Amino acid sequence: MSIEIRNISRSFGNFRALKDVSFKVETGELVALLGPSGSGKTSLLRIIAGIEVPDGNDGAILIHNEDATAINFRDRRVGFVFQHYALFRHMTIFENVAFGLRVRPRRVRPPEKVIKEKVNELLKLVQLDWLGDRLPSQLSGGQRQRIALARALAVEPSVLLLDEPFGSLDAKVRKELRQWLRRFHDELKITSVFVTHDQEEALEVADRVVLMNEGRVEQVGTPEEVYHHPANAFVYNFLGNVNLFHSRVEEGKVYLGEMPIDLPAESAPDAKSALVFVRPHLLEIEHQRNGGDNFHAKVTHINAAGPLVKVDLVTDWGDPVQVELSHGKYLSLGLKRDDEVFVRPRERKIFLQ
Amino acid sequence: MALTKSNSENRSGGTAGLNEPRIVRFLLISGALLFLSLFLLLPLIVVFTEAFKKGVEVYLESIREPDAAAAIRLTLLAAGIAVPLNLIFGVAAAWAIAKFQFPGKSFLITLIDLPFSVSPVISGLVYVLLFGLQGWLGPWLAAHDIKIIFAVPGIVLATIFVTFPFVARELIPLMQSQGSEEEEAARTLGAGGWQTFWRVTLPNIKWGLLYGVILCNARAMGEFGAVSVVSGHVRGFTNTIPLHAEILYNEYNSTAAFAMASLLTMLTLVTIAVKALIDWKSHVVGREAPERELAEAA
Repeated sequence: MSIEIRNISRSFGNFRALKDVSFKVETGELVALLGPSGSGKTSLLRIIAGIEVPDGNDGAILIHNEDATAINFRDRRVGFVFQHYALFRHMTIFENVAFGLRVRPRRVRPPEKVIKEKVNELLKLVQLDWLGDRLPSQLSGGQRQRIALARALAVEPSVLLLDEPFGSLDAKVRKELRQWLRRFHDELKITSVFVTHDQEEALEVADRVVLMNEGRVEQVGTPEEVYHHPANAFVYNFLGNVNLFHSRVEEGKVYLGEMPIDLPAESAPDAKSALVFVRPHLLEIEHQRNGGDNFHAKVTHINAAGPLVKVDLVTDWGDPVQVELSHGKYLSLGLKRDDEVFVRPRERKIFLQ
Repeated sequence: MALTKSNSENRSGGTAGLNEPRIVRFLLISGALLFLSLFLLLPLIVVFTEAFKKGVEVYLESIREPDAAAAIRLTLLAAGIAVPLNLIFGVAAAWAIAKFQFPGKSFLITLIDLPFSVSPVISGLVYVLLFGLQGWLGPWLAAHDIKIIFAVPGIVLATIFVTFPFVARELIPLMQSQGSEEEEAARTLGAGGWQTFWRVTLPNIKWGLLYGVILCNARAMGEFGAVSVVSGHVRGFTNTIPLHAEILYNEYNSTAAFAMASLLTMLTLVTIAVKALIDWKSHVVGREAPERELAEAA
């Protein structure tokens, strides 16, 4: 079932959390709502679920091309997984999962035997069938998260919404669980939207990423698209480590210190300054100035623990720079602290201001 | 292992804190015990010794005596009406305050606290000024032959007023700390409003609710000031247990007075016992919570 978000706005007092947001989630997709905190992504998710209502009447949420705002909460069939799990603390795990079935009106409520089978099946699906008679407080965070997912799935939702599903877990469990979620989604093929502020999580798990900032959608695309072809400075800055240089524009050229960069022909000629972004792995360090396409910098710190060596430098005009090198390259350069070197950007992205 | 042991020993020494000399500890503890026995335990003993001074026969007789029996019935009636009403009101008010945002919320909280901050005698007087013969509504009530002051309805009203805050006050912080996520989860799973209340909200607050009801009941049965003003002290009709005890005492019938007092004391003891049980019970449940809080803090 597809979800279409059409012109949704939402204010809290004077604060405009969502400003005319529109996009579409296709059937069977796993979409990430990615953005910094306060970007409105959780508000949007809660509006899709029907927990909150959008402002005004011009916005609409369409689930399977039907206006969901007109559908009774009960019949919406939206599974929602809360960030802090929101498991019913006084019920056993079994009863938690069974809840959605037990509260159905009598005529559509399945018999006890069917409920039992269904719950056990779901507990097996999340690989926790041995925890049925425990209380939520006796489970670890990762286990609770999976129970919350099983509980949401019990009502056979047409759409699954997850609010920061791994937000309160430690880094290792987080990694395991998000790979598990991906496999899980591939098995069930249920249209899903999850909220996250972790770009690595979004890029790794999602089919498509919706980037949000200050209540607006900045870009929608596959992880590859948004990473390699960011629509604007915010997206480039938000996705992955990046070096940012504020530079001046003179006579159709951007100057990075003394290093000139030719501007693409179609760019705005009246721009005065520009933001230049370079990813740390796209910078190269050299001892000699070979040609003019590099700038002078000084090494301030070296971190060689990890798969790549991270070298921190400072430019002549005071901007900090981070460069990532392979260990082989690092050894052949023989870098030390306070070395004076030249840095060459292999690729860069320029946003004129 | 040895290291851990010495560590924990150090720590326990540290929490004992300031390592007071034995004599100081002894003086502080015995001082507290002396104070407690003098002001709490001794009166308790006095009540029962005075009540049973002339034997069990006389004790039972003074409770069975018609005016005393009427006082007991009236007390049970007043509490029987006031406690359920304040239970419903308290849950509704706490629900509204803890789970919703609305204008005038802090005013409502202040209003709920009002009976705590006003002297009970004053609140009794307010009812006299409202419903008494010379009061605002007095003439209208008299014309319709409705008696509130110096009658049972006045006593019930005064009892409701003074016991108003107990349940709500107990529940508001509890419900606020629990938040409304579980209710939201129940709704996304298709539960209706009542189902959410009965299956999710009520089980989560049951111990706090019971505690509030017990305090409310103890006060409802023991209230003196407000009830005294509106009752008129008509023997056998408008006397509650505390009022009847006072009358008997003023008549130098101390055995009967203390027999009445012993009933209230027993109520107190039961209340304390149940309260201790609830504290223990909710502590056992609460002890499992910290992990969740940790997860949330992270």
